[in-house]
Amino acid sequence: MEFSKFFNSTIKLNIILIISFSISVNSFILVPNINNSFYVLFHLTFIYILFYHYHYYLYLVALVYGILFDILLLNNIGAHILTFLSLLMLFVLLRKYLIRLSSFQIIFIYFITLIVLFFIEQFLANLIHNYKFNISSIYNFSLIALIIFIPSVFLLTKLDN
Amino acid sequence: MAPKFQIKVFQLSRFVKNFTIISVVTLSFLLVFFSKTDYYLISGIKNLSSSVIIPITRFISAPANVFSNFIDEYNQFRSLKFENKILQEEIIRLKKWQTLAIQNSRENKVLKKLLNATDNNLILVKTASLINRNDTIYSKLINLNAGYDENIKINMSAINERGLVGKVIDTTSNNSRVILLTDPNLSISVKSISDGIFSLLSGNGDGKYLVSSFVKENKMPRLGDIVVTSGTAQIFPVDLLVGKVAKVEKNRFFVLPFVDFRNIDYVQIVTSK
Repeated sequence: MEFSKFFNSTIKLNIILIISFSISVNSFILVPNINNSFYVLFHLTFIYILFYHYHYYLYLVALVYGILFDILLLNNIGAHILTFLSLLMLFVLLRKYLIRLSSFQIIFIYFITLIVLFFIEQFLANLIHNYKFNISSIYNFSLIALIIFIPSVFLLTKLDN
Repeated sequence: MAPKFQIKVFQLSRFVKNFTIISVVTLSFLLVFFSKTDYYLISGIKNLSSSVIIPITRFISAPANVFSNFIDEYNQFRSLKFENKILQEEIIRLKKWQTLAIQNSRENKVLKKLLNATDNNLILVKTASLINRNDTIYSKLINLNAGYDENIKINMSAINERGLVGKVIDTTSNNSRVILLTDPNLSISVKSISDGIFSLLSGNGDGKYLVSSFVKENKMPRLGDIVVTSGTAQIFPVDLLVGKVAKVEKNRFFVLPFVDFRNIDYVQIVTSK
């Protein structure tokens, strides 16, 4: 209750972003799926904030996390920062159409956006930095996304009141 | 006066927002461009991320680390009895090998004196410990607690007691980043010890095996052959242990590295003499 009083939903969602980012960039060799799960959770939360709490500050959030993800995971800036910013700009363009959709359709688009993000990140990493396209990691992320999608959305909605 | 003031505030706010968006997008494209061309700006950002962001993320992810360690200890406890049996058998086997090794060592010293040979071709630059690893998602990288202040330079080799670990790809004043052998984006030139077959190896993507991407004259090494660095690419010193041929197919072969990449605590940064 005290937690809810002091932090509004935007702050809570940003705390989840920070935690999931921190865990996803520190490898746990014995349980590697911890990293993958929190990497997926970060993307899930980012899209959730974008869909339901769109604000201009998200451009700065995308810039900072994009740079950090790129440097810590790829050692080169490019794939994540461009993906996050493209997603933001695409959302601004399509927002007026998204508002008309039903909640089921929104959830469906939410999931598809998540999978497409992983694909675009891999594609850009390959295009800009010649990183070997790893389809198995996309499968892995998609599988994790499939498992944690509903619980995560439920958790995020609960935090969001 | 009031409505006029409100309009001004609205316009200014909208201008600031649009300006922020355009600035952020421009900055991101510039950063992508600079990451390919400029050294100092990107190096500064990397330095900041190594010295500030990594310690913060480690602190935040500490509970996950505790959970991971707990699972490790539980697994170790479960396999205690089985491992004990294996170790007892290994002790008997190693005692036999020890006797043989002492004999060989004496013989080796005598032969070296006869040949006037030096011990190795390596210069040890620094022994560094691992501070953090990012080898689950995308690249297989580890971060070390020593940088260019300790004379570590890009392209130096990282080894441990078992063999070649990887290559330094980035250094800051107090940290350096090593790309592991198992990364699919790193290629190393190797040769097999028995036949001297030259080939290029890179990570298989599974984090376990190395796979040949090029084999000179399409000659395949034999199963169980030991491969070492050939030194032909002038990046890795010659004759560093890499691994053992574990699987041979028609046009490629797989190598199991000697280094246990799951248990790296310290590495030595070395360069050729």
